[in-house]
Amino acid sequence: MAVIRTLLYLLVYPGLLFLFVYSTFCEWFDRKVYARLQNRMGPTHTGKWGLLQPVADFIKLMSKEDIVPDLADKRLFNALPVFGLAIVSAAAMLLPVWNFDLAVPGPTSFAGDIIVVLYMLSLPTLIFFLAGWASTSFFSTIGATRVLTMLFGYEVPLFLSVLSPALLAGSWRLAEIAHFYQQKPLLILPNLLGFVVALIAVQAKLERTPFDIPHAETEVVGGTFTEYSGKKLAFFRLMTDIEMVVSAGLLAAVFLAGFPGGALLGFANFVVKTLFIIFLLSLMRALTSRIRVDQVVSFAWKYLAPLAVLQLLIVILIKGFLS
Amino acid sequence: MKIAAFLPELLRHLFKKPATVDYPFKKLEVPKGFRGTPFLHPELCIVCKACERDCPAEAIEITAVNEAEKLFRMVIHNDRCIHCAQCLDSCPTTPVKAMDMDDKFEIAAFDRHALKAEWEYVRAVQKPKAPAAPAV
Amino acid sequence: MKVQIPIGPQHPALKEPISLRMTVDGEVITDADLRLGYNHRGVEKLAEEKTFIQNIYLTERICGICSHSHATTFVQGTERLMEIEAPKRGQYIRYLVSELERIHSHLLWLGVAGHEAGFDSFFMYTWRDREIVMDLLEMISGNRVHYAINTVGGVRRDLDDTQITKILEGMVTLRKRSEYYLMIGANEPTFTARLANVGYLSKEDAIALCAVGPTSRASDVTRDVRKDDPYGVYAEVPFEVCTSDLCDVLGRTVVRIKELLQSYNMIEFLLKNLPPGPVNVRAPRRAKPGEVVSLYEAPRGENIHYIKSNGTDKPERLKVRAPTLANYAATIKMLKKGFIADIPLIFAAIDPCICCAERTVELVDTRSGEERIVRFSDLRRAAEVRYKNVTRKGNAVWPL
Repeated sequence: MAVIRTLLYLLVYPGLLFLFVYSTFCEWFDRKVYARLQNRMGPTHTGKWGLLQPVADFIKLMSKEDIVPDLADKRLFNALPVFGLAIVSAAAMLLPVWNFDLAVPGPTSFAGDIIVVLYMLSLPTLIFFLAGWASTSFFSTIGATRVLTMLFGYEVPLFLSVLSPALLAGSWRLAEIAHFYQQKPLLILPNLLGFVVALIAVQAKLERTPFDIPHAETEVVGGTFTEYSGKKLAFFRLMTDIEMVVSAGLLAAVFLAGFPGGALLGFANFVVKTLFIIFLLSLMRALTSRIRVDQVVSFAWKYLAPLAVLQLLIVILIKGFLS
Repeated sequence: MKIAAFLPELLRHLFKKPATVDYPFKKLEVPKGFRGTPFLHPELCIVCKACERDCPAEAIEITAVNEAEKLFRMVIHNDRCIHCAQCLDSCPTTPVKAMDMDDKFEIAAFDRHALKAEWEYVRAVQKPKAPAAPAV
Repeated sequence: MKVQIPIGPQHPALKEPISLRMTVDGEVITDADLRLGYNHRGVEKLAEEKTFIQNIYLTERICGICSHSHATTFVQGTERLMEIEAPKRGQYIRYLVSELERIHSHLLWLGVAGHEAGFDSFFMYTWRDREIVMDLLEMISGNRVHYAINTVGGVRRDLDDTQITKILEGMVTLRKRSEYYLMIGANEPTFTARLANVGYLSKEDAIALCAVGPTSRASDVTRDVRKDDPYGVYAEVPFEVCTSDLCDVLGRTVVRIKELLQSYNMIEFLLKNLPPGPVNVRAPRRAKPGEVVSLYEAPRGENIHYIKSNGTDKPERLKVRAPTLANYAATIKMLKKGFIADIPLIFAAIDPCICCAERTVELVDTRSGEERIVRFSDLRRAAEVRYKNVTRKGNAVWPL
């Protein structure tokens, strides 16, 4: 019985099937908001209101021919999309939506799981680098080096700003952090600076404008993804979608007081809060133009990192006042 | 230099109707005088062949079927036509030109030869111009 | 480590095939090699086989964006050869369409610059406003691209009052939107960070390398054919030549937006002072023998047509010097010392219209200095002989 329950947990809800459906819904939402901000229609005809468009894109990519370059490292080239998908799906298991029993630390909610989620969100960047490097085509190599250069910029502000509310709550467990802010909602306000820094850093992690230099279409053709086609590209795109859901979930759990209310209401909370964060990310995407990779690093170290440190100082001061 | 100078404009557009027309479910209106495909009014044509001479794409072909009966055939190769309407300008018949233009622009076909249009007709006689009215 | 990176002939940044081979050192470009000829269509040869009236439509199809420029330059030259002059109303309508074409081309360029920089919202907005101009042109001439409103001796269609009112209303809307884009172009920080100090071309270089159009005007060179050598109605229409002293891509953006505002003024002047009368005169079929050089300020710069006639109804020789061809040398200068990330922007900033620029070239023998025009069949035969005996190797490097 427990085996069947675990299998259902892993494959259906909140496992792969739910993640597939929800991440394609989030991609639809992102594309529709982006289009409406630009006075266009967005996906309209596949399914009602174009809801099935990302699913249609996935199915189309799965049916295309799979080409592997001659000089590429075949095992690495073939394995990377699957690894990436596995990592982000595992990270999604750790979000405090479907494991809200505080007394029982289980396999998906334990002390220190915020660090595990952050680590699992850094791994896709390494996978992008390896994907570009293993392709051995010129444009992929440029894209891969750009991915790593950007990592030096946004990783530190992201870590600092996400860990500040955890410091204030005094715990490294996502469920406990969410519970803390549900008890004391006023303490969300000092963390707003960290929220803004984390949003910008997450936009860089997801490689969306203004930080989509690694796969800038007009400059390096496809960047890291130039040589990928067919099923592997479909997996990579699904991986970026699920990464968006996981990052939005992480930000909502840490900055927006988690998802209170038990099973059904908590789930509704999850949907509303992640869609709000994705709306903010789409707004940022429509608002700005792409900047160069050296400008990303200088912007991150000149503005984002000091602001994150400032946020840390504010949190330490408030913790001192409270105790 | 302002941060997010674009933001108010962007947010305003969230509530506006999209500027895109849902073609092909909603059709587009073309203005009067739109240059679509050319066609002939065979009863007015005097077979001067000015249109055939002036067409830049060699899309008009006029052949005599039977000289004695003044029977001619005109073929307009709509797959070669570049829709410039020079044939209308070259046509000298008055008061109504024999060459005319409709406003069809959705003329895609699977076979190039399905786009040819033919007319067989008897050459019209050019009416002599009425003498000018005496000045009052 | 020096690496050679190919941009083109097929590349998402380029709208037309052209091959730029750059030698890069990390992210900095050290050298650029430009190869042309992928878009050669034999227009100049074909023009010798068609009559003057048919050539109007042929020259129009040299380019889609600046189609009216090529047709007007050709018709101006032909009218001078035939020694006829278009009536005033015809000329006003002809240059009205020229200014409308300038507006549509600059709005298109603003969108393309936004897209190359990654600023897709700007791209969508400018192209949405460009639809206003396209609808006006469709109303005037019957087609959105390739307006074909010129004929030898004037224009083919006339304007009536409802059309004039609609054009004036369109100008009011567009003026408001263009001033908004001027504010955005100067103020949005991520956009200006991409455009500023990119593709620097000093004033001396712009004059020495014969840059034309907004590329040179952004380097503070006051050169505009409409002011230096007025043709048509430009001697009567008041306007200013727009320059900027920023010398980089941001300067070119500012120059083009300022030119948009000038065009709105010019169109309003032309419409308010439209003289009555006929719109064309009857033109003879044959042109007297002679040769003529016709100049025109296209949206991209100075457009030159050279026409030679020999008394028949077909021209003997037509030579087209499109503005983009003059800007290539300046582009190579701008690309050196730039970043790879800036290549699309630098290249897009000259507003490349590669199909305008592909014409026949002469082969000059470097050793003896003699020139000869080589027939295509001879070239093909020589190539077959050479490649029969060469072993195939992958990734062959182009010999310079």
